[in-house]
Amino acid sequence: MLNTLKPFEQIKGSSELAIRLGWLISLVLFWIATSFTGVHLFPTPIQVIDGFNTLWSEGLVVHIASSLSLCAQAVIYSVVISLVFCYLSPIPLLRPIATTLSKFRFLPLAGIAFYLSIMINNARTLQVWVLVVFMSTFFITSILAVIKDIAEEEFDHARTLGCTRWEMLWEVVVRGRFDYVIESIRQNLAIVWMMLISVESILAAAGGLGFLIKNSDRLGNQGRVIALQIIILFIGILLDFGLTKLRKALFRFSKI
Amino acid sequence: MKYELKQTIFYLDNVSAGYNGKAILKNINLEEKDIVREGFAATGQIIAFVGRSGRGKSTLFKSLTGLAKPLSGKVLITKFDKENPEAAKEVGEGDVGFVDQKYTLFRHKTVYDIMEYALKRSPASKEEKKQIIVDQLTKWGLIEHKDKYPCELSGGQRQRTAIIEQLLTSKHFMVFDEPFSGLDVGNIESVKDAFNLILAADELNTIVFSTHDLKLAAEISDVIYIIGHPEGTTEYSTIVNKYDLKELGLAWTKFGVGHLDLIEKIKIDLLKS
Repeated sequence: MLNTLKPFEQIKGSSELAIRLGWLISLVLFWIATSFTGVHLFPTPIQVIDGFNTLWSEGLVVHIASSLSLCAQAVIYSVVISLVFCYLSPIPLLRPIATTLSKFRFLPLAGIAFYLSIMINNARTLQVWVLVVFMSTFFITSILAVIKDIAEEEFDHARTLGCTRWEMLWEVVVRGRFDYVIESIRQNLAIVWMMLISVESILAAAGGLGFLIKNSDRLGNQGRVIALQIIILFIGILLDFGLTKLRKALFRFSKI
Repeated sequence: MKYELKQTIFYLDNVSAGYNGKAILKNINLEEKDIVREGFAATGQIIAFVGRSGRGKSTLFKSLTGLAKPLSGKVLITKFDKENPEAAKEVGEGDVGFVDQKYTLFRHKTVYDIMEYALKRSPASKEEKKQIIVDQLTKWGLIEHKDKYPCELSGGQRQRTAIIEQLLTSKHFMVFDEPFSGLDVGNIESVKDAFNLILAADELNTIVFSTHDLKLAAEISDVIYIIGHPEGTTEYSTIVNKYDLKELGLAWTKFGVGHLDLIEKIKIDLLKS
């Protein structure tokens, strides 16, 4: 027991699980206990459960599907666009395009959304492209860092095998680092998932978790807000877990 | 032991090498020939380069393998043309096998795929290539690991995979940059065995390697070149001495007093350069 208080102490897997469960139970108990006091910052567990029930009866599953579909479309477009720029970045003439696009991640969403809304009339398409532009800047940054970190020895190795420059690009960068693409999606998906609230408020008719949370917040229904926060958090964690499993299943050599 | 020198295997003519136009190595001249020993079907050549850290051994190897163009001079290698043994060409990428210190391999290919890729320019048919790969993997004790990725191999298996891959690509000429660095005693023996396998496989097979281990260099080499700063300057390096172990009667013999004397001489050279 005392070992768990020592810095850098190695503990068993079962002990680690017990510690995590202990913290979670403590948090829930603290929440329940504080909800009985006169003044409490958080909605009570009963309010949150009510929130879940009303959300369920209002078609929560459809809203989750809408958010997931928006997210999936944005990720697919963003990955394809970003990879084209990143894979062409080793070409000196084209390198500045990818590095400049990477810098655009410092632009606020409002600025990007303004120009996109001038160009795109359909609100759903606008939602997708706001996310695509936003995610691409972060995705390009991650993949450029992966390419930059490839050791010179790997390129030299390909050259000793008589590879042409295009074969080097294909074998060392594209095929050799494809597992890193999934890892970058996993890391950047959190950003997109977080952006849902802002982006889904563009088109209320399409629904989605972001729309629900914004609506509940406006009506002051904190039980629903917390219920939605919990749902968004759990789906995010599930996606994160799923992508890690997918990477390991597809690429046995991946030891990131 | 009686031996004869035949065709030139590689030839460096007044080579200067470096980075961004600055020469780290200058005036590198050397010529190595095919050695033929009486009573032996095949005697490959094994040449060591020793030198203190930062004296440009890796830079020299980049020029020798065609990975970097010399700033001046020429690196010529034989065309391995049996009809015309003296035919030579300037070295290019892929002509010379190069195994770096880390035994770099494609991380996304299995051992079998690595071998298949190494043979991609070979004119052999698919079936012939398969046979070559199976033969090589069996000979080097890797056949049961053919479906493994590099990250699933032990250090020794990885070394052997990197060596066969380069052998299949470059045929006869291989350069190893500090192949013994950081290896335990078992892996050192395994690399020595690999060298012996390469040298005994073909008369023209030639190994060039660098090392800081003087005992190993004296034990296994035919020739040792010392790379260092010439007297009076630290601006660049060159070949400051050469020991031909064949002429000294130390090549292909058991390690003994003669080798120990040679190591002492090399130490003096290294400290001066």
